[in-house]
This record gives sequence, structure tokens and C-alpha cells, in this order.
Amino acid sequence: MPGVRALGTTILCESTDAENISKGIDEVFDEIIAALTRPLTDDEKNPKINTITEPKIAFKGTYDQINEFYYRKGWGDGLPLVPPTQARVDEMMKGTDLAPDHVVVKIIPRMGKATIEKIAINAVMAGALPTHMPVLIAAVEAVTDPGTRFDTFEVSTGSWAPLLIINGPIRNDIHINCSSGMMSPGNIANSAIGRALGLIVKNIGGARKGIEDMGTLGDPLKYSLVIGENEEGSPWEPLHVEFGYKKAQSTVTVMFPNRYTQTIPAQTTAQGVAETLAGMNPIALSTLIVIPDHAKIFSKEGWSKERVKEFIIQGAKESNNLRPGRLKDEDFAIVVAGGPGVWMGLLASAGGFGNSFITREIRLPKNWDGLKTKYGTMVPVYLKY
Amino acid sequence: MSRFIKLIAMTAITIIALSSITYASERVAVQADEPVYEVLSPWAGVDPIPVRGLSARIDSISGKKIGLFANFKRAARPIMAEVEKRLKERFPDVETFLFDSTLPNVTETETVNKEKFTAWAKGVDAVIAAVGD
Repeated sequence: MPGVRALGTTILCESTDAENISKGIDEVFDEIIAALTRPLTDDEKNPKINTITEPKIAFKGTYDQINEFYYRKGWGDGLPLVPPTQARVDEMMKGTDLAPDHVVVKIIPRMGKATIEKIAINAVMAGALPTHMPVLIAAVEAVTDPGTRFDTFEVSTGSWAPLLIINGPIRNDIHINCSSGMMSPGNIANSAIGRALGLIVKNIGGARKGIEDMGTLGDPLKYSLVIGENEEGSPWEPLHVEFGYKKAQSTVTVMFPNRYTQTIPAQTTAQGVAETLAGMNPIALSTLIVIPDHAKIFSKEGWSKERVKEFIIQGAKESNNLRPGRLKDEDFAIVVAGGPGVWMGLLASAGGFGNSFITREIRLPKNWDGLKTKYGTMVPVYLKY
Repeated sequence: MSRFIKLIAMTAITIIALSSITYASERVAVQADEPVYEVLSPWAGVDPIPVRGLSARIDSISGKKIGLFANFKRAARPIMAEVEKRLKERFPDVETFLFDSTLPNVTETETVNKEKFTAWAKGVDAVIAAVGD
């Protein structure tokens, strides 16, 4: 229903200042009355929608000209883009058996159709490889599942970013970093998959910064927040098995944090690490990142993942939770990831919106082995000095 | 002869000046051997969405039932309280009915309060909604 009679006010966002609210209403009260009583115009009775369509070929030019054109159109993310030529997009679509015009999902707010081709175009722009397409398709499905509350988090003033936790054999197939520096720049899979997802929600969903995406401060994690669970370094069952999948399946799990903190335990005993994890105050909804070294300490002293979670729940203060009630098991996840060291991490979202962790299986194309062979050597080899 | 040479020189200067202006007006100049690419649009198509017009307006507020919808965020309720106060001051015979939304960004008819919301909406003549965000 376009053309709803909406009034702006001078009331601050989520204001608790009675004077500010009173003044704001004073200023627009006559307009409120008019909005309810002034007869409708012809346009308001019979609105017309302006549908914007873009031609399939967006532009022809050099690398620099393309980047300038795309940036000015609002299709970029501030960094140089890889030109999405038909040849590159065709190659990208080899990462799935789904047809180019297959609609994976419609993405809010425009309800833009996330076809395989459009996903592939944005993936090329982000610098992704065809071997990343299966993860991207599953990620688009997971992110837009109503259970993530993507409809809230995508556009919220809180600047929430999608966290993708990858499990299963695909981590090693496409070199998802699950170890040292996994959240730092430097690994194509971790960086490009997250970047592509950001371009997808923007260019397919149509959330424009400052118009639909009202993030007050913004969030660097929106560039990319993709991690793999360090299943090989963990003594516990991986997250996707905990969520009911088989270990041999590959999955992506999604939640929307807007806060990331790291700390070190006061004591490197199981009790000490557990106390520090609890002290990080994982509210609903949170992901705690436990490094393999600490997971092994827990295991050596007979602590299962369930026992660690129970310890945290028992110590959690109800008043710290963003939603009513005590912390529950389903409110937070423990993921074993990261490299050697002593730091532990917390990625915190907000609960109470009917949101939860959402997991989707990653489905591979028939020619997966061929793709792995072609793109499997894309790993950095540092100079020796 | 000297006038002819001056004319040639002026013409050459003019041509060079115009070329410079053209060059300077392109932020990114194309080098002769630079590759040119044809690139696809990342912008997605949408299916047509049927639209409908606004509901008819009421002739006045006097004697009417006005719904006040507070959209979940914390400023919404106090905003509605201020609106209610002013409505009753100006139109003493108005009746107001508050509704607090269940979840943010979820249409009420898709929540557990669907029936309660529907009954509320049917029971009022007009609605004022506050976005407290």
C-alpha cells in the first residue's frame, strides 16, 4: 500500500525523554488530524507503482569505468569489484546444478528474486570462486529464513551482520579458514563468501544504506563474517551434529551478531575457562568461540560441551538477558574454532524477537570433484624470509 | 602570410584546448589498449505487487473511535500517550484504543495475536500508528 500518510517528527530514535516526545507531538498534531480527515487524492485512491527494471547488460567499459559506474549506482561496497562478465558468471554458475533462472528466494525489502544468475553475478563481483556457490546458495536460504529475523536485523539501527558458521567436509574442500586468523582478512573463501552475501542482500534485496538499512554506526563485520568450525581440533561433536545433521554433511548456520569481544581466561583449567566464558555474559542469542586448546582442556578434565553450557546457564543473570527469562540452552552455541593461543571470543546478537540459529545443508553439484581440482590450489603460499 | 600563420596557430590552440576539456571531463580516461568489458546487472527483478489505495478518511475526529498502534520500540508507547492526551483535550467525545505490537517487523496478522488485532482494527474508525524507532 504505497503513499501511506506518514509524518516525520523531531522525536529522537527510541526517545525516553518526555519533553522531547511532547514537543515532537505538539509540532505535528494538526498534521495528524489532517492526515486522518483530509479527503484522499486520486493518487491515494488509485496508486501506481513505479517498477524499476535494469537491462541485463548494465554497462560496457574498462575496469575502472565499470567500478565507477557500479559504485555510483550503489551496487558496490566501497571496494573494487570484479567485473561480472557473462563468461565469469557462466563459470560461477558451474558451482551449482540449479538453472540460472531458478529462484532460490525473494529477498526483502524489494522482494527481489535471488535467481542463481543474480547470486552468481554478485558472487563474481565479490571475487568468489565457483566452489563458493554451494555455500552462498545455502547461506541465502538460511539468512532469509524467517527464524533468523533477517527482516529485523538487516535494516535495524543496530547494524547487525550475518555470521556464517560452516561445518562439514566442504570446509577443507574450499579452504575455509577454521584456525589462526579465521576472522581476519586473507582467505578467499572466508572473505569472498561473506562479501558476496552483503552484495546479494543489497543488490537483490534492495536495502540501501540510510534508506532501508538504518544502521546508526554501521558494522565492519558486514564486510564478511564467515568462520569454519575446527572440527579436527575439537574433542566434541560439531555444531551441525548438535543441530541434528550427520558429520559427513556440510552445512551453514546463521545468526546476526552486532558485538564481538575477545578475552583470555584467568586460569587455564577447565573451571577457569568455564568461569571466563560465563563471565563474557553470553545473552540470547550468542556464539561463544572456544579455541581447540581450551576444548582439549575441558575434555581432559571430563567436561563435555553440555556441561560447559550448563555451567554458563547456571551462572547467567536473568537481568543481563535482553529478553525476559533465564538463559536457555538454545540461546547460545559453542563453536570450537581458531588457532593456537589463549583468546576466546563472543559474538552476541539480541534475542526476544523469535529468532534462533538457522542451519541449511550445503548441496554440491555433480561436477564437484572437477571444480575442486580446478580451484583447489587457490591457497596463499607466503614468501619465506 | 603572418596572419595566415596566426590563424593556423589559433585554430591549433583551440583544438588542443577543446581536447583537453574533453579529456578532463572524463574521470577515467580510456587508454588505447585497455580491455573493455560488457558486464551484467546485479540488480534483481521483482514480480508485480498488486497495490490498493488508502482507506477512506473520516470526516472528523469528534465522536469517533481512534486506534493507537504502538509498534514495539520503546518510544512508541509514550508517543501514543501524548497523542491520546491531545486527542481527548481537543475532542472530548473521542474514544481511544491502544494496541501494542507483538513482535517488531512482523505483521500482526502473522503473530499469535492475530485475532485480538483483527478485532481491535475492526472496532475502530481510524488508526494512528507510532514508529518508536
